Amino acid sequence: MKSKFLKISLVGGLLIAGLSCTKLDEAPYLYDKVTGDQFGKTDLEVSSLVGRAYSNLAGIGGNNHYNPLNEVTTDEEIVPTRGPDWGDGGHWVRLKLHTYKVDDPLPNNAWNFCYSGITTCNRLIATLTTLNTPTTLAYIPELRTLRAIYYFWLLDWFGNVPLSIDFNTTTPPANSTRKQVYDFVESELIATSPLLKKPTGIPDVATYGRMNYYVAQACLAKLYLNAELYTGAQQWDKCIAACNNIVNSGIFILTPNYVDNFVQNNQNSKESIWAIPFDHVKFTGFNMVMMTLSYLNQNTYNINAQPWNGFATTAEFYNSYIDPAQNPGPQGRVIGLSPKGDSVTGTLDKRAAANFLVGPQFSSAGARLSDDGADVTDPDGKPFTFTPYINELQPAAWRQSGARIGKWQFYLGETSDMDNDFAVFRYADILLTKAEATARKNSNWNDPVALALVNQIRVQHGGVDPFVSMTAATFLAERGRETFAEAWRRQDMIRFGTYNTAYGFHGADPADNLGPNNINHLNIFPIPAIQLNANKNLKQNPGY
Amino acid sequence: MKNTKIFITKACSIGFLLLLSFFSSFSQSKTITGKVTDSKDGSPVVGATVQPKGSKNGTSTGADGSFSITVASNVNTLVVTSVGFGRQEVSVSGTSAGTVSLVATNANLNEVVVVGYGTQRKKEVTSAITSVNAEQFNKGNINDVAQLLQGKVAGLSIARPGGNPNAGFEIRLRGLSTIGAGTQPLVVIDGQIGADLNSIDPNDIKSMDVLKDGSSAAIYGTRGSAGVIIVTTKTGSRGQSQVNYNGSVSVESSARLTKHMTAAEYRAFIKPSGIGSDTAAKGNDYGANTDWYKEISRNAISHQHNLSFSGGNEHTTYNASVNYRDAQGIAINTGFNQINGRLNLTHRALNDKLVFNTEISTTRKQAKLGFDQGFEYAAIYNPTSPVFAKTPGQDLAKGGYFEVSATEYSNPVAVLKQNTNNNTLKRLNFAGSAEYEIFKGLKFLIRYAQQSSGSYTTAYTPSTAFIDRGFYNGVTGVGRHGYSYKANDEAITQLYENTLTYQHKISKLDINAIAGYSYQDFKYEGLKLGAGNFVTDQDRENFSAAQDVQDGKANATSYKNGSKLVAFFGRVNLNWDNFAYISASLRREGSTQFGPTHKWGYFPAVSAGVDLQRFVQIPAVNTLKLRGSFGITGALPPGSGLSEFTFTSGQGYLINGQWIFTYGPNQNPNADLKWEKKAETDIGLDFTAFNNRLSGTIDWYTRKTSDLIFNVNVPSPPNLFSTATKNVGDLTGKGYEIALNYDVIKQKKLTWTTGINYTHNHVVLSRLDPSAGDYIGASNLGSPGQEATQITRTFAGAEIGAFYNAVYRGLSPTGKFLFEDASGKAVLADSFPYVKRVIGHGLPKFEMGWTNTFTYGNWDLNFFLRGSFGHSIINTERAFYENPSVASIYNVVKTKYWDPKLKDAQLFSNLYVEKGDFVKLDNATLGYNFNIKKGGKNGVRSIRAYFSGHNLFTITGYTGADPEVRYSDQIGSLIGTTSNILAPGIDRRTTWVLTRSFTLGLNLGF
Repeated sequence: MKSKFLKISLVGGLLIAGLSCTKLDEAPYLYDKVTGDQFGKTDLEVSSLVGRAYSNLAGIGGNNHYNPLNEVTTDEEIVPTRGPDWGDGGHWVRLKLHTYKVDDPLPNNAWNFCYSGITTCNRLIATLTTLNTPTTLAYIPELRTLRAIYYFWLLDWFGNVPLSIDFNTTTPPANSTRKQVYDFVESELIATSPLLKKPTGIPDVATYGRMNYYVAQACLAKLYLNAELYTGAQQWDKCIAACNNIVNSGIFILTPNYVDNFVQNNQNSKESIWAIPFDHVKFTGFNMVMMTLSYLNQNTYNINAQPWNGFATTAEFYNSYIDPAQNPGPQGRVIGLSPKGDSVTGTLDKRAAANFLVGPQFSSAGARLSDDGADVTDPDGKPFTFTPYINELQPAAWRQSGARIGKWQFYLGETSDMDNDFAVFRYADILLTKAEATARKNSNWNDPVALALVNQIRVQHGGVDPFVSMTAATFLAERGRETFAEAWRRQDMIRFGTYNTAYGFHGADPADNLGPNNINHLNIFPIPAIQLNANKNLKQNPGY
Repeated sequence: MKNTKIFITKACSIGFLLLLSFFSSFSQSKTITGKVTDSKDGSPVVGATVQPKGSKNGTSTGADGSFSITVASNVNTLVVTSVGFGRQEVSVSGTSAGTVSLVATNANLNEVVVVGYGTQRKKEVTSAITSVNAEQFNKGNINDVAQLLQGKVAGLSIARPGGNPNAGFEIRLRGLSTIGAGTQPLVVIDGQIGADLNSIDPNDIKSMDVLKDGSSAAIYGTRGSAGVIIVTTKTGSRGQSQVNYNGSVSVESSARLTKHMTAAEYRAFIKPSGIGSDTAAKGNDYGANTDWYKEISRNAISHQHNLSFSGGNEHTTYNASVNYRDAQGIAINTGFNQINGRLNLTHRALNDKLVFNTEISTTRKQAKLGFDQGFEYAAIYNPTSPVFAKTPGQDLAKGGYFEVSATEYSNPVAVLKQNTNNNTLKRLNFAGSAEYEIFKGLKFLIRYAQQSSGSYTTAYTPSTAFIDRGFYNGVTGVGRHGYSYKANDEAITQLYENTLTYQHKISKLDINAIAGYSYQDFKYEGLKLGAGNFVTDQDRENFSAAQDVQDGKANATSYKNGSKLVAFFGRVNLNWDNFAYISASLRREGSTQFGPTHKWGYFPAVSAGVDLQRFVQIPAVNTLKLRGSFGITGALPPGSGLSEFTFTSGQGYLINGQWIFTYGPNQNPNADLKWEKKAETDIGLDFTAFNNRLSGTIDWYTRKTSDLIFNVNVPSPPNLFSTATKNVGDLTGKGYEIALNYDVIKQKKLTWTTGINYTHNHVVLSRLDPSAGDYIGASNLGSPGQEATQITRTFAGAEIGAFYNAVYRGLSPTGKFLFEDASGKAVLADSFPYVKRVIGHGLPKFEMGWTNTFTYGNWDLNFFLRGSFGHSIINTERAFYENPSVASIYNVVKTKYWDPKLKDAQLFSNLYVEKGDFVKLDNATLGYNFNIKKGGKNGVRSIRAYFSGHNLFTITGYTGADPEVRYSDQIGSLIGTTSNILAPGIDRRTTWVLTRSFTLGLNLGF
């Protein structure tokens, strides 16, 4: 009897012990994650939250959207298909030919990049408003400015994008018109500008890498410069005013040495209005070294990875620096344009040497590199030499062909992530913006203010002779020489009407006026198929 | 498991005895004695039932197979039956029956089938379950448990393309049941749910039972959707002390390679006047003649040894075994060695009322994984390159090997010889249970099981190596003064279960019921480190000597996550007079991985069967059971925390001049995440005919998985991320399976048994939530030069596994690709819009296995053919390297499709899609059983020697190395590869070539 009782209680006890464990709370299992609603309690945590809106910007430094969309579509950069490399279903070639498709990857990357930043800003604005402390509220104008810049990029790339500005709205948004997006960007920048910090000197540690008054003004200047494309209405005066707000501060100066803006430790550049503070450990993603250099250049800079041998410039663009007719100035020996790349006499624009890597390549120890895999048809043969000449766009561009993008100076012991900071807005560009707005406002490319601004840059940065007179074409060429690879070329060529003309490996685009404001529909990208697929409220851009 | 089985067998015999004691009569009697043995090896058959013919009275054989039965004096025929053996009638004259030899049979309906949480006699089974016992397993060069079953079970697809001894097999039951996690069947080893199939050595397995339909799997609830494989290991038996040794040695070599140019062909092709060359040379001639496949491969020797001891007394039985395997891969510097020990111990106390069971097994496997790129590069490395550098310019990394800088291109010999990639796997499984019979028919069982595994990966690329991708953390180029990588991953699963079983008989109704509680806890954690820049390669194992660590260039990551499952379950089995059977079960299960209000799910099942022979007697038919079942099973999400709003750290950013780690959400949380459920109906027919010489099973099923969990595109904005894990659609599957077995010849000296199984299934993504878009499951062709080239797609409303891209229509006069446009016209690929269409399917329409077993005297011969039909394969080796433009660097893949006139950039189309149908002679084994003198001095009980060949031939039109079905796309070649189950049929370049092996083996019994 006793033992039976014992047995039953034992069995019962075990059953109850087991049955009682039915709690299924997941929190104890989230070992390597932080619960979102618990985050943001300290000032450190708040700045860590805000940082996420910025850390998204790492994408600017890679080959996924920012540079290629703005540069490979123009005369400045090219990604030829080098035999088995860089074919990638033809999408690099399509950028060059302006035959981009709705399912091409880069426009989609750009879309995700911008909206990832925008939704983060929306989320943070909501969170910081809820936290409602002086510290948290102080971040809000900054986040609104950053969000406006993300929208500025979208406006430029896609035109008619949805305006999502409230974190609590959960319905998939429909497109806004390009004009509506423009108005939003303008009003936000105007509204937030006065609320932002105003550095009194450069470098300004407190705002470096982040939004400040001058960043907002620079974006406004760029917005107004292209206002006619975006809305049909010119805004030259507003553009000049925004530029003057920067110029008249007196804190920015044109650096005596062009390359100082692009060296490894360029964080103190006096031209830097807004730079992304890349670092090979702390903030990685600036991969130009990988994108442009050839495999063997690993030995030139003792890089810890083998570069990808992709991005280059076109011979014509390279020639815009060395041709005495286009670019008058002191002459000297530079690498020529023949397939073999023999040196010739040409303009010695200091910016050519700064912007390109061309000619014979050496190891870090100074030995001439030999490329055992050189294309047999390449006249340079095995001695490793970059030539501006590119034999074909596809399928078999020689692997040594094309002058490389050396603007952000390479350095010994580099990693695939460069330390050089990337200036989105640079003072020289603002000076050129002011010059252009002034010339256009007065319908005179030889406007003395404009000419003086351009020549200041030419002489100081290029070390070449000042222009005696200017045309739209010579201004654009000068703009190209100065801002090469800084991702403004697409916008510039569209504004100057040359985007759809023939250049480099790009034939003239078929004429149409399908786009907004009757411009060629190719001047904005298609809304990516994957986005249309995910959001049924979206409509494709005209012409695609 | 074993206990219950014994229990049921016993209970049945007791039941028979009770029932039939009414018929017993009092008369004169005599006592007959004898012994029952297994015809195969003469070993005693324990527990066989011996009855006088015409009477239901009987006895059972003892531990030594002997029996003694008292029968009426007029009885002169005894009937001997035993589970797993054919019925035998013996004429008795006098009082001795002598030795009765029983022949093992598969068709015996008294055979015990292992089901979830119990066993059933085969005739009582009402759902689709296939049992495979050790005799039926595949033989030969077997190093993986899955291999034992390959092709043996209708509906169960098992494949491993290529001959990498360290690669796992993919297992699919009845096609895909989910598009998320858990596509492989749940494995239950001796009651241990969710065990790793390879935590046991193939030699230790007694039988495997495959629960195919929803009804049989529903008792396992949440993880049963992809089916269940129940593994039963060998146990000891009372009174019989046995020692067995199994050993074999195998030689393996490559059987099929990727076709490519020889040095002479390549040289001729690149010559300025060569074929297809216009005016200029297309590639470099480095002067050598190298057969790279030959350079990297070898005749791989493997051997394995298994020593087991088993036995026991009245109270305790045991089975202990030690396994050692040493397997070489056909690629140099690859292979593994493994030692595994196992102990199964059963102890009975309190007059057998209390049964303790303990199982312990441990494994240590040391693998040299090598680098799968060895095979990729061997196919495409310039055949005129020498293995070793001839000039300083060729000695790129100063390691002495010939190297050229290019993308995904390294000297394959150097890759395999210079770099190391090793893995040590440690497993410890422990399970213990105690079962107590509270009163007759009612038993309480408590079980605890723990499975832990630790994996330690160590890899190194020295300063003198050139490697382009394919190493950990994307290390490329000339080694960064060496780069070392280590990863430590650990997983631990704990299971606690209570069950209460009850058995009762009321008149003709047998009731069998079980109720239980199950608690399971999972934890995974790991640490990965990678760093380079060593002063000396010798210090590779010491991270503190890596300059990268000091420079902040080291990669360090760690993770830890886990989950919990809690379940209540119950089942009732009813048997009416061995004629009609009904089973019903319900499992209520909860997981931490779902949203707060969706954690619990119900998984019911019901099934029934009836023996039609009781209604109608069909001539020649012996048994005919019709059964039908319905069951609901579930599937878990692919990870933990998906419903939670969580933050993770990201890149730092400069805030007021300070670098601060940023924090933000890591996903779009989905608080509505709920159970994915699969409902399946199965109708089956089991029959035997022609004196049980023909036996067969036919199953037809239809299933629908709803609320599929998948990571789909969502609009961002308004979402934070452009993908989210949601319940997004339905998957429907239909199929049928046929398995037939026929004893063609059944003579005393000669037997021939043939068996065939046939599988067909068709899985459709029948509904996709409009919010998820029109299609999912794209897969990219990849680097070099074919990024952004999507080659697969799964559309809503269509079959899983479609290839999607351009339709090739020939070449233009200038050698440019012509693809099909929307109107079906051929247009130039690069300048006109062409359309993408469905250009193939990666999953087979049907699969077959055909096995034949002959015995002649002491000889036996077994051969097994396996085939898959109706699937296509994307031959990526061709898609990358058959274009003549690659000859500037790479060797050219040259199959029958090669066209030297092609002069265009790489563009994907159905030109690279091929039919994958194949038939393989998977296995042929010739064995001989030596005659052993009974009771010999040396104690040898049995000796068997066999010779076995694996992959002896392959019939296929596929031009790649292995036409095997790729059930999912394996992306990447190192540990941590990801797989895309919606992109089957892609033959990736890193797949090993097909291999053939020959094995010589010996089994000894003492």
